[in-house]
Amino acid sequence: MRVLALSAPLVLACGEVRTCLLPSFQALDGRAAAQLLRLRADELVRVSERPNLYALSPDVLTGVDCRLPTSNGTKVRAVGTVAARAALTEGRVLQATAYFSAPAGGPDTRRPWGHYLVRPGLVEPFGKLPEQATAEGVLRGGGRGELDLGMISEGLLAQLLRHPLLDHKAPFKSRRTHLRWAARRAPEGEGPSLERFTLAENGLRTVSLRLPENTPAAAAAGLCEDLALHDWLLTTVVHMLDNSRLGAADGPSAVLALRPAVDHLLHLWMPRAHVDHTLGHLWDVLEREPGFTRQWQTLVQRIRDQLAVQAVPLLHKALSTR
Amino acid sequence: MTDSVFRETTAEPRTQSVPLAHLSLELGHLYMEDFEAGPERLREHFAEVRIWVDAARASAARRIGGKRPRISTCFLIDDYFRRFSTPAELVPMVLEEAERAGLVIDYLARESGCAVADKTELAEAVMHRLVESPPPGSYGSRPPVSQTGWLANGQRTPATRTAMAETTGWQPPQETAARNHSVFMDVELWSEKDKQRLWSCPFLAAVWQLARLGLLRHLGEPVLIPRLWNGGDFPYDWDQLPPLLQLNASAAPFSAYRTCTLMANRFLPVEDAVRLILDQIDVDSGALRQVAERSAREGAAVPAAVAQRATYVFYEESAGAFSYGET
Repeated sequence: MRVLALSAPLVLACGEVRTCLLPSFQALDGRAAAQLLRLRADELVRVSERPNLYALSPDVLTGVDCRLPTSNGTKVRAVGTVAARAALTEGRVLQATAYFSAPAGGPDTRRPWGHYLVRPGLVEPFGKLPEQATAEGVLRGGGRGELDLGMISEGLLAQLLRHPLLDHKAPFKSRRTHLRWAARRAPEGEGPSLERFTLAENGLRTVSLRLPENTPAAAAAGLCEDLALHDWLLTTVVHMLDNSRLGAADGPSAVLALRPAVDHLLHLWMPRAHVDHTLGHLWDVLEREPGFTRQWQTLVQRIRDQLAVQAVPLLHKALSTR
Repeated sequence: MTDSVFRETTAEPRTQSVPLAHLSLELGHLYMEDFEAGPERLREHFAEVRIWVDAARASAARRIGGKRPRISTCFLIDDYFRRFSTPAELVPMVLEEAERAGLVIDYLARESGCAVADKTELAEAVMHRLVESPPPGSYGSRPPVSQTGWLANGQRTPATRTAMAETTGWQPPQETAARNHSVFMDVELWSEKDKQRLWSCPFLAAVWQLARLGLLRHLGEPVLIPRLWNGGDFPYDWDQLPPLLQLNASAAPFSAYRTCTLMANRFLPVEDAVRLILDQIDVDSGALRQVAERSAREGAAVPAAVAQRATYVFYEESAGAFSYGET
């Protein structure tokens, strides 16, 4: 974790994750993934091969000095750095996250910039931080001139999409999703919890968390990337099934419409594969209600059944023409 | 996740640590023009520096409670902006003049080693770590530092309008961290000639400070590693000389918690620019943590901000010593 000894305890961590299909005809292997995510020449990309292929870029910082978004209109100026990082899962799904943590309060003047740079990913408020209003404000999205995590994550994503490794021949059409998250500190002695997951319109999802004091913001970012990845998979496959016009469409076109799911997506489902072990169990609540994996299994079964049904006439035809 | 059964080394962040002294003391940062002036110039320099070396040693000892501090000395030769003579001719002269003043040079570095050392593009890597100090109102847009090649400590004067537009009065630049009044500074990081990038003197000096502070890594590995001199002759080509040469086998480590640089006062603007740059570099966090932890354990905790770890003595040069013409 990139945090030095701090004077004030951190009470809030917020972030935004953008998730999209990598616009490349072929999925990238581990080496290519590391090349894509090498945001700095001198820092390693972390590549993991078990239980699936996962590459994580180093953090890059963006300096900010602006108002924080608040739900009740409180004006709080804050200064510091927002961390941004990118992850690529199975060489197929690209994610960019911007995130920061904030202490309960800070001095009323701006300090020398070197002070902020040695506290990467930390944004210090002037005066007292209205924790709840800020958490709600971030989830709702900032107003004009307010801290814009979406802009930072989008900027990183745009930078990555310009990489010469990418041929921009995505194997199928899909939409981006963005997931905003805010984690307030859990009451003393209580463990981490996921309070709310909201599926909003236009690809927006929001997550409210409660985390113990010692949970690094990077771990929370990792959990939310994992949630965003799986939510994107559900969203994308549901959309694909909708567009395939099952039943109505004739055999070959249904097969063609569903084939990309089999080729590129079905093997990607692996909740908590790279989530910090102290946070993995937060998935449980989503598995109970609405049941992410339950929905996924149903979708997968539907696709497989459909492909099997389409295969029967072909088999029949093959046998009868003997 | 270190307590789990399964581990993948490529999935874990790693930063190799480097040996650290208490103080890295730079005995000089001289340019080819200075050498051209002959041995008398160096003699004068080292005689003056000697006085401040003793003071710097005493200060370092006081800081760690009177114990014997680990101090290494270094000397930097410019072979980047202008090449002159050969190591075979120059290095013995430098060493002899230092010895005459009772000084030992532990490490000898070439300035071009701060640009590229052992095929690693150090300056380029450091440039990618610049995180500009955001002027008030920055809410997430990234200032394109790599496009301009300049770094400031505040907001520049807005560009003048075209003739068609309403004439506006001059607007002053503003230092972001101004106290009542601004001291605005704008530093050129590099220039380009025939598509070749020429790093500026302050930028290379910032890389040099990071190396001396033990904060440079390449893919987690130390860079600019000192190579021990075998005692033989010095080569006739600068490129044959290692970027960082250890002349004294029993020297304290090259990198240190703090640096002190002894130089003529004409270098003051350059070093002020170095501090401006250091103040806007996002240093390798693993290296930063290692230095913070080890210095605290030794009772010599470093200031959090990197630029604060560098100190200087600017001495007065004797009359007619040299023109202002350093690069």
